[in-house]
Order: sequence, then C-alpha cells, then structure tokens
Amino acid sequence: MSARGLAWIARARLRADARGTLLDAAAACAGAAALVFFLALGLGVGAAARRMFPAEARLVEVIPSAVSLGGLLGGGQLDDAAVARLSALPRVEAAWPRLVLKVPVAAPEAPPGMAASWPPGMTLQIPVVGLSPGMVKGDVGPGQRFADPGPGGGPIPVLLSRRLLEVYDKTIAPAWNLPRLPPGVSLLGLEMPVRIGLSIVPGKQEGRVYEARVRLAGLSDRVPMYMMAVPLDTARRLHAEYGKEGGYTQVTLAARRPDDVPAVAAAVRRMGFNVDENERAAAERVGAVVAVTTGALVFLAVVMCFLAALAIARSLSASVRGRAREIAVLQALGATPSDVHRVVLLEGGMVGLSGGVAGTLLALGLSLLADRAALRLLPDFPFRPDTFFAFPPWLWALGLLVPVAGAVLGALAPAAAAARIEPARTLS
Amino acid sequence: MIALSGVQKSFQDGPRPVPILRGVDLEVGPGELVAIVGSSGSGKSTLLHIAGGLDRDYRGEVAVAGRSLALLSPRELARLRNATLGFVFQSFNLLPGLSALENVMLPGMLGEATGQPPGAVRTRAAEALVRVGLAARAAAPPSRLSGGERQRVAIARALFSRPRVLLADEPTGNLDAVTGEEVIRLFAELAAEGMAVLVVTHEERVSRAAGRVLQLREGRLH
Repeated sequence: MSARGLAWIARARLRADARGTLLDAAAACAGAAALVFFLALGLGVGAAARRMFPAEARLVEVIPSAVSLGGLLGGGQLDDAAVARLSALPRVEAAWPRLVLKVPVAAPEAPPGMAASWPPGMTLQIPVVGLSPGMVKGDVGPGQRFADPGPGGGPIPVLLSRRLLEVYDKTIAPAWNLPRLPPGVSLLGLEMPVRIGLSIVPGKQEGRVYEARVRLAGLSDRVPMYMMAVPLDTARRLHAEYGKEGGYTQVTLAARRPDDVPAVAAAVRRMGFNVDENERAAAERVGAVVAVTTGALVFLAVVMCFLAALAIARSLSASVRGRAREIAVLQALGATPSDVHRVVLLEGGMVGLSGGVAGTLLALGLSLLADRAALRLLPDFPFRPDTFFAFPPWLWALGLLVPVAGAVLGALAPAAAAARIEPARTLS
Repeated sequence: MIALSGVQKSFQDGPRPVPILRGVDLEVGPGELVAIVGSSGSGKSTLLHIAGGLDRDYRGEVAVAGRSLALLSPRELARLRNATLGFVFQSFNLLPGLSALENVMLPGMLGEATGQPPGAVRTRAAEALVRVGLAARAAAPPSRLSGGERQRVAIARALFSRPRVLLADEPTGNLDAVTGEEVIRLFAELAAEGMAVLVVTHEERVSRAAGRVLQLREGRLH
C-alpha cells in the first residue's frame, strides 16, 4: 500500500473514533507540554544562572601557594618566569597574568554631568586590577583601546564588570535613590577624574598623589565585580612609580577545551601553585542545583509521556479488538498484514504528533503566562531575566518527537495484534 | 476464471479434525453466474474464502485468473484481491467512519499498483456509485443508509477495481424482496458483461437467476 493510502486510511480511522482520538491526543499533549515546559524552564533558569555566575568552562585561575618554600619545589611567586612556564603547559592555549594594584586610587568627584548623583563630599575608593589586554580583547568597545597610555599620555582606559552595572541598576540605585542607567545608553567613553595615590584609609595614602583621568573602554565578565580593570602595563608602571614589588596576583590559564581543565589544574598544582576554584565552584553548585531540579521535573514529564504511551496502547488495543471485522475487510480489499500493521502504527504516530504539536504550543503559552506572572509578582532583582524559559530549536523537535515515539511504541503491540487477524475466520 | 480442484479443509474441534470440504472441484468461467447453495454450516462461506485467497489453510489446488493461489506471496495475493477479485458480504461490512463514497474508494487507496491520485480514485468511486444508482447518497455515512443502499455501496466497492471475478457471500440475506431482486439483477448484468460471478446463498431467488446451481452437501459439490 502506498504511503498516501496508509495515511488516508489511518486518518479516516481516527476520524471515525474522534472521541477516543481526542482523549489519546490529550494524553500525549499533557506529556509533551510537561516535557517542553520543564525543559524550557530548566534551560531558561540555567541561562540566567550563567549570567549571574559567568564562570567560563575553559579557564583555570592560578594563585600563589599559601605556603611557599621560596621556589624550592617550584611554585613561589607568580612572576614572568612562572607565567612562561604556565603558558608552556600542555593543553594551555593562553596565560594571562593579572595584578591587583597596590597603589590606592580614589575618585573625589563625579564624572562630568553626573554631579547630581554624587553624594556631597564623597570620595570613592576604587580597587583596581591590571589585566592583560588579550584576556579582554573581545570586550573592548568599538573605537576604544585598552593599552597603557604611558605617563601623562591621556586618560587611562578602564573596563568595568557587566554585572556591576546590573547590580547598580537593580540594587544600589533604588537603595540610594539614584537615577538608574537608561536602557540602551552607552557609557563607553565616559571619563572620570581620579587621584592616584589617594586613600581614604588612614596610613595607606602614598606620599605622592596626582590627578589623572580614566575612560570607560568596555564592559567585561572577566573583570571582578567591584573592581576597575586597567591595562596590565599601567598597573606595572604605577607599581614601578611607587616602588611596589612582588609578583602577579593571579594568572588565568585558558585550556584548549573544557575537558582539558582537570589535567591543566593538576599540572598547575604539581608546579607548586594553587588553583582558585571559588568562582567556578559557585557556578558549578548553582548549575548542579538547576540541573538536578530540571532533571527531576523532566523525569516527571517523561513518566507522563510513558503513561500517555500506555494510554494510547490500551486505547489502540481496544480499538483493534473492536474493529477486527473492519481490518479483515481491509485485507479482503487488498491490504497485506504488513499494511494493517503500518496503518495502526501510523494511527499511533498521528495521535502522538497532534498531541505533540498541541502540547508544545501549550507549553509555549504556559511559559508566556508564567513570565507575565513573574514580571508582575517578583521584585526587580539583579540579573532578573526577561524570560525564565528558553526554547532552542531542538526543544521544539523534542516536543514533537517524544510523543510521536511514545505513541508509536504504544501502538506496537496493537499493530502486531491487528496484523495477526485472520480475515477468513473474522468474516465467517 | 476460478478453478478449484480437490479442495479439502478441516476445522479442529479440540484434538479432533472435523472435515468441512472433502475434495471440492469447481470451475467458473468468464460471463458465468454460479450459485452454490447449501444448509447453514455446510462450508459455503469457507469455500468462498478459499476461492478469494482469504483462507490459505487448505489442501488441493485453487487458481484465479490463471494464477495458483498457493504459489503467491502474501503481497501478490493481496494485489490479486485488490485488482482481480471483488467481495460482497451478507453484512455489507462497510467502514462506519467513512462516507459511502469513501468506502467505495477504499480499494483504490489500498492498491499500490494503481498509483492513482486521490482525485482519480474519487472520480472512479463516484462512477461505481452511479453504476449502482447511489450517486445522490455519496456523502452519507453507512449509518444513514438503508440495508439495500448499504449493499449497493458494498457492490460498488467490489466493482471499483473492475474485477474479473466477483465473490458474493449471501448478498441478499439481509435485504427485502425488492432490493434483493435488484441486486440479483445487477449480478446477472455483470455476468453478462463477462465477469465470473460466484454466489453462495441459501435463497432460491438467487439460484433461479444463476446459470448454474451447485449444492454443497457433506463437503462436496453436487
């Protein structure tokens, strides 16, 4: 029998038992809706968590060992020689040193045009870190440069954490009654006067304090949230100016692939350095919580799909028993047992497909309602996503495939029973 | 067109085989209307099912349109039933979820060899309904047709593929006298057009119209 004939007969059969078909499709719809809804929720919440804890899977953060034997067993200070050795490790693509500035930097006044938002008399002490330009090259804004301008060479380019702006907008601004950053407004190029060497902490101020300007060159997730990043060479230059000594604070290694990270971390430890896993561990904990919760909900949804498949199997079995005579007539008119088998499987597949389409659309509708409710009921906290759901293309396909596969599996036994019907005996 | 030779068939009654056909010989040629009569349970329907390739559990030789049924694969046999044979049953056996027209379309949709587009199948089914005088009832489901109309739809379905052989099992058993006569007259017309028509019946009015009447008794044709 041709595929067209099969489909025509299966459709006609489903139409004939519209009530049973609707019930079966409703079961498949419930399973598909639950599966797609919970998976989309897990993916959406996972994406939001990754924005909140943007740990990169390929990065290994190297810090000096807490107990050092002065380089006797390797390790010791993170100096240029150590960076060279770290970058030569197998499976390491790049090594980027970072240097926390030991020279205090403070902003005694607001950037131009923002005086209204600056509490009178406030001096803002700014923690500063020097970063390798290679580490943040993708985050530097168009038309901006992230390189040391040299002494007296103009404003120092700086980068801020993307998350800092989110925290300012959602927490600091409402708490201090300050204006929020208007959406879409670019802060790139904004300049602010600072004083190098100035500290509000008694006894920490340097003997020499001079004025400089910083210019915002970009936003980056690689900048610690409450720090301002300057080019590494700027940090080195300031240390030299103020006679500060010591190695780098940290070196960030980029492994070739996320799978290489454990081996790279082990090699780093063998060199006598430590690996800072705090940020990664936090991200992994959040990721694990999201994954476990999503997994449990998806498991429930899969159970629902399984139950839907059982319902379809039971319904089709009853249907096959009830229409044995019709099946025998089909054989008398030219259907083979194999055709009969395929017709019943196709009936299951069609029920699953219609349930899958309805279920996937239902999940989409429910997610829109849930997002709307969340926007109305939840406070505007930092990193609150616009949507708690994500619908990648593969999820749409899964929403259709799982109910179809479940329904076809459920139809296997009824289809085999239908194919075993003996027309002569049934028609007698 | 139909040739049965030494056909034997038994049913199992527990461990004991109960013979129902004990060596049936039968030939029906093109243009012949043959009636097989016999009492209830004499094996008439069994004989028809064997001749139509629905029952392959028998001994002896059966050939339809020159092809030995025992030598055909299930697919070839299905194709033969679809294209060469037409079946008419006492209880009509229309599919309740389909309209009269769709019931007639069934052989066209089942036939893999025809390869006709649905539009052509529909047109041909409509022609078959015209042939049995039911063009006006094409859209009606079987539940809204009278017994006579249902049987005419079943006959239209059997005629859809323009078969060379028509097998009818008590075709007038559920019909009133007038409708039964119409069906018998239609069978006679089909035979006159060259079709081989084999009817099993216990009604005398059918056997009166047949060119040849055979009685199935004690598993043999007389």
